[in-house]
Amino acid sequence: MSDMKRPLPAISPESKPFWDAVQQDKLLVQHCNSCDTNIFYPRRICPECWSKDLGWVEAKGTGTIYSITTTYLGTTSEFTKELPIHVAYIDLDEGIRMASNVVGVGAESAKIGDRVEVEFVKANGDFKLPLFHLIEE
Amino acid sequence: MGKIAIIGYHEVPTQINPERTRWDIAEEVIIGAVKNAGIDKDDVQGFINVAPQAQPDLISQTAFGLLPEHFGFKNVKDNVICNAGGASTTNCVRMAEQWITSGMCEVVLVPHITVQSDIPAEDLITFFAKAPMHQEWEFPFGMTFNGAMALITQRYMHETNSTEEEVASITHALRDWGARDPYSLFHNKPKSTEDVMGARMISTPLKSVECNMLADGGGCLVIASEEYAKKHCKNPVWKLGHGSDFLGGTPIVREDIFWREGYRKSCGEALAQANLSVEDIDIHEIYGAYPFTQASYLEANGICEPGEGARYHAAGHTKLGGKTPCTTIGDATGRGHTGSGVSMAFYCQVARQLRGEAGENQVEGAEKVMMVTSGGSGMNTLATIWGK
Ligand SMILES: [Zn+2]
Repeated sequence: MSDMKRPLPAISPESKPFWDAVQQDKLLVQHCNSCDTNIFYPRRICPECWSKDLGWVEAKGTGTIYSITTTYLGTTSEFTKELPIHVAYIDLDEGIRMASNVVGVGAESAKIGDRVEVEFVKANGDFKLPLFHLIEE
Repeated sequence: MGKIAIIGYHEVPTQINPERTRWDIAEEVIIGAVKNAGIDKDDVQGFINVAPQAQPDLISQTAFGLLPEHFGFKNVKDNVICNAGGASTTNCVRMAEQWITSGMCEVVLVPHITVQSDIPAEDLITFFAKAPMHQEWEFPFGMTFNGAMALITQRYMHETNSTEEEVASITHALRDWGARDPYSLFHNKPKSTEDVMGARMISTPLKSVECNMLADGGGCLVIASEEYAKKHCKNPVWKLGHGSDFLGGTPIVREDIFWREGYRKSCGEALAQANLSVEDIDIHEIYGAYPFTQASYLEANGICEPGEGARYHAAGHTKLGGKTPCTTIGDATGRGHTGSGVSMAFYCQVARQLRGEAGENQVEGAEKVMMVTSGGSGMNTLATIWGK
C-alpha cells in the first residue's frame, strides 16, 4: 500500500493534535473537560456545552463496524489504483463514530457488527491515515 | 386557500445536452413561466434565484441581477440567490412567501438553470465528491456521495432485514414513473427490478441506476399573493403548509441517519399547519435522491410499519394506480439530477399534478400533494403541502 496517493485531509489548528498523533501511531479523541463528552470530529468549542476547555484522550483503537460499503467506481482519480475500496463507519469504543477504511485480511467480507482495530497506514508520502483491520474476539 | 400560490411554471426536459446554453434555458423557462401564468411581465416584483451548484459564474451572474436586467423586467424591487443545495427551491418559495406576505411584492419569479454536461467529467466528480463530503474526515477515506448513501442503505438493510432486491424495487418504481414522463432523462427507458440488480455496482449495495446521473435542466415558478392569484389566475396551486428540520451537515456525525426523524418532524409540522392528516394526501413527492429515502419517508409518516418501507415499494403500492402514489417525478434516479434544480423539477410536477397536466403520470383526482426536499448530503428535510 506504500504507493497510495490519497488526498490529504485539510488540517486545521484544532485538528492538528489528532493528525500529529496519528503520525506517531496514536489515535486521539477530543474530550470536553467541562461536560465530560467525547467529541468527533475535533472542533474549537464543545458542541454540547460550548466550553473551550478541551483536551484529548488516547483511544484504545478498537471499535465495531456500524456500516460498510465496497466502492468500485466514482471516487476521484487519487483512489483509482486502490479500487475496490472498503469504506466504513467505525464506532470506536470511546463512543464516537468515524469514517475510515477496512483493510487487510478478510476486508472484502467484513460486515456490520465485526470488531476492528486501528492501524496507521502511509497514505501519501510519509503521511499516515488511521485505517482499520478485522480482529477476532 | 393559502397565502401564496404557484400561478405559472415552465420547465425544460432534463437532458444531457451541452449544446444548450444556460442563457437559452433561462430564456425558455422565464418567458415560458410568465406566459403560463398569463400575466404582464412587469407585474413581477421580485427575483429569487435557485443557486446552480458547481457553476460559479452563473451563481455570480444570478446573484448580482443579470437575469431581471437581461429580460427587461421593469418593476423588480430586489433580486437574490438562495443556496441550500437540493432544498434551495423550497427556501426560495418560502422567501417568496415572506416577500409577499410582508407586503413587499405581489408576484415573485423563482428561476433555476443548470448545465452540467459542459463541465469536464473529472471536475464534476471532484466537485460532487468534495462539496457534500467532509474534506477532512470523510473525503480522504475514499468517501463519495454515493458511498455515504450506500453506507446508510447497508445499515437500513441490516436493521430492517430488507433485501437488496426489495431496495432495488424502489428504483424500479421510480423508473416506472420516469419512463412515462417526457421531461425525464429516462423517458421510455423503464428498468425492472432485475435490470436494477444487474446494473454495474458502484458502492455496495447501490448499482449505477440507483445512483444519480448528472444532467442539464431548468425551470421557473411564478409565485403570487392570494389576492393577485384570485384576480388574475384560473388555476392557482395553493401552498397550504410548511415544515422544516435540520439533521446535520456530515453523515458520520448525524444521529438521524435514515432521515426518519427529519421526515416525521417536518411533515408533521406541515400537516398541522395545513390542518390535514397524512390520509388526506393524494400524492407524496419525495426528493431524497437515493432509494432509502423513499422507504424512510413512508415509515416516518406511518404510511407503513417501521422497517417495511422497501417492502411497501416492492409490493407496488407506490406506483401509478397503487394506494400511495409516491414520487411521480421519479426522483433524481428516475429523472436525472439537475444539481440543485431537482427540487425545482419537483415543484413543476406538483403544479402539473394539481392542474391535471401530468399526462400519462396523472394521478386521477389528486387534490393534495405533500413534497419533501433535502439539501447537501441530506442536511435537512423540508416539507410543503399544496392543494388546488
Ligand atoms: Zn462540553
